[in-house]
Amino acid sequence: METLTFDYEATKVIHKRSHVGVVGSGDLEVLLEPSDSGRAHIHIRTGSEGFGEVWKLVLDRFFTVNDIAAKVTINDFGATPGVVNLRLAQALEVSGHGCDK
Amino acid sequence: MAVINKVSFIELNARERAAAVLDEGTHRELLCPFDGLESPHLPPQGIVPQSDDGVVIVKGKIGGKPAVVISIEGAFQGGGIGEVSGAKIAGALELALRDNKLGKKTFAVVLFDTGGVRLQEANYGLLAISEIQSAVVALRKYVNVVGVIPGDVGSFGGMSITAALFNHLIMTKEARFGLNGPEVIEQEAGIKEFDSSNRPLIWGTIGGTQRVETGFADVLANDDMDEIKAAIAAALTVEKIEKSRTEKVDLYRNFLSHIDPFERTTPQSVRELWRKMDKGEIREKKTVSPTRSNITESRGRTWLTALTGMANLESEIPTVVHGEALLADEIVSFISVVPDLNNRFPRARNGEVGLDEGWAIAKYVRDIIESHRNKDSRRAIVAIVDVPSQAYGYREELLGIHLACAAAVDAYATARLAGHPVISLIVGKAISGAFLAHGYQSNQLIALNDEGVSVHAMSKQSAARITRRTIAELEKATSEVPAMAYDIASFSKLGAVDELLDGINADVPQEQDIITVKNSLISAIDKIRSSPIDLKSRLETQEALNGGRTASIKVRELLEKQWS
Repeated sequence: METLTFDYEATKVIHKRSHVGVVGSGDLEVLLEPSDSGRAHIHIRTGSEGFGEVWKLVLDRFFTVNDIAAKVTINDFGATPGVVNLRLAQALEVSGHGCDK
Repeated sequence: MAVINKVSFIELNARERAAAVLDEGTHRELLCPFDGLESPHLPPQGIVPQSDDGVVIVKGKIGGKPAVVISIEGAFQGGGIGEVSGAKIAGALELALRDNKLGKKTFAVVLFDTGGVRLQEANYGLLAISEIQSAVVALRKYVNVVGVIPGDVGSFGGMSITAALFNHLIMTKEARFGLNGPEVIEQEAGIKEFDSSNRPLIWGTIGGTQRVETGFADVLANDDMDEIKAAIAAALTVEKIEKSRTEKVDLYRNFLSHIDPFERTTPQSVRELWRKMDKGEIREKKTVSPTRSNITESRGRTWLTALTGMANLESEIPTVVHGEALLADEIVSFISVVPDLNNRFPRARNGEVGLDEGWAIAKYVRDIIESHRNKDSRRAIVAIVDVPSQAYGYREELLGIHLACAAAVDAYATARLAGHPVISLIVGKAISGAFLAHGYQSNQLIALNDEGVSVHAMSKQSAARITRRTIAELEKATSEVPAMAYDIASFSKLGAVDELLDGINADVPQEQDIITVKNSLISAIDKIRSSPIDLKSRLETQEALNGGRTASIKVRELLEKQWS
């Protein structure tokens, strides 16, 4: 197991916390919580070690596009970058910060 | 063309399943992912935990009736039961029981998808399952307890023993429902006994269709959300409390008496036999042709003889022996499972709890309960525990070894709840489903502090295979996590052992040893008579409070706060 953390500056607020996904083979769970810190803080625990660079690329892109202040907890069981991106988008949608808000 | 609008239930995750079962808008999750109750035991072993530990508890209504739905996530660690997930299930059932006792009818529905004990938390899982089972037996007096086994994982291990205690079980044909998983049977008994790669064989033996055809489950539903919802709602409208299978001791003993282990037993032959039993075409118990017992010495037999002083022990079947003794002027019953190298079921010849053994224990214990029904004082029952495992075999699964074990669980729990002091005296091995069946329902556990005494969920070989580690890796993990260790001193750190007796000669008990053990039993009986009849005291011992059961206690406290 490897623990990774990432931090991004953020301006937009989200209103609701949300939870999606399962820590099952090829999947992950994402817990998204509002934060008033003006930052997005991402804490990851993953069973697949040595993929820090890939995580950075996926998260850089996501949190650049979605400029949200949030506490994000990720428990990963070998999800591919595509699945990670999908789950993050899903978590964001459930949190009430859809594209029309 | 009609539009077929079916939603698969199997493909939903645990949280979605729970939500689907409840009436719309009534749904309230307890101990949700943000409450931070993940497993404290997985990260130190390098395993990523899940924020709900794989169990979702939701309160709401089903068909307008108040219910709690407990849904197990099969995709997380195979739905294995650890300390937190186990405490969530036990705690929810205990609170449902409390509500019902207060006259507030609350139904409980469990959506199973579990491989049984989570081997990385071994003894925590086994301990939690014994507490879940105790709650189910108590709850069943008030409401029909309903279980659904939709698949993908199905239900295995101690959780199948739990499911077998339920009044009403719904399965799909995709689901499997058995005690020992195919890989474990193959590991323990060889590929000739069970080929774990043979899917038709597996589903033919323990699949939903076979289980319903042979009376081990009640309803076969399609993998369709609406159909499963309707089946659950229908089960909850039954006002009369259905007798659970585990209470039908004579029926199942008759059933097994018609099985000849020297003949081929097939899924079809079992269906035919069950059909006749069910229709009442066969009522009589068949006299099992006596094989000459080949009894070998075992600690279970040694201690039963030592404590009762009886040279000729009584028995229903050669492997389940019992006797009585006077302890401080009261009669106490003792019961032990022992090896018989000629046991008619070959997979239960070394002291394992097999099909006949589970039902024989149930019969003996229930006879004691029955004979004390109208008496003021309830006789104490001592389970002398020396059980290497449950029986691993094809025939065992086909004929419901999970149910046989559950019958014993039910009998002991029912005795305890009826006020009989029930004590476990662990003199040898106390492993897995065998220990759940014979000993784990006791008010108190007393163990000899001896190298030959061990408590665990699975043999090292099988546990290594299932968790995909080498034996060396497994042993390293066990040295760091007390709940994974096999020795009794580690187990007692969890707080469930009420007394650990030092300096006893476990193999050849001396006169002083026998006196020490008897005195320990006498004081335990005394203590039990003035204590509650549930298993809560296990969470109140010094060891439990000082870190042995931290998560088990915390989960229950928080759950109680969020309950109403």
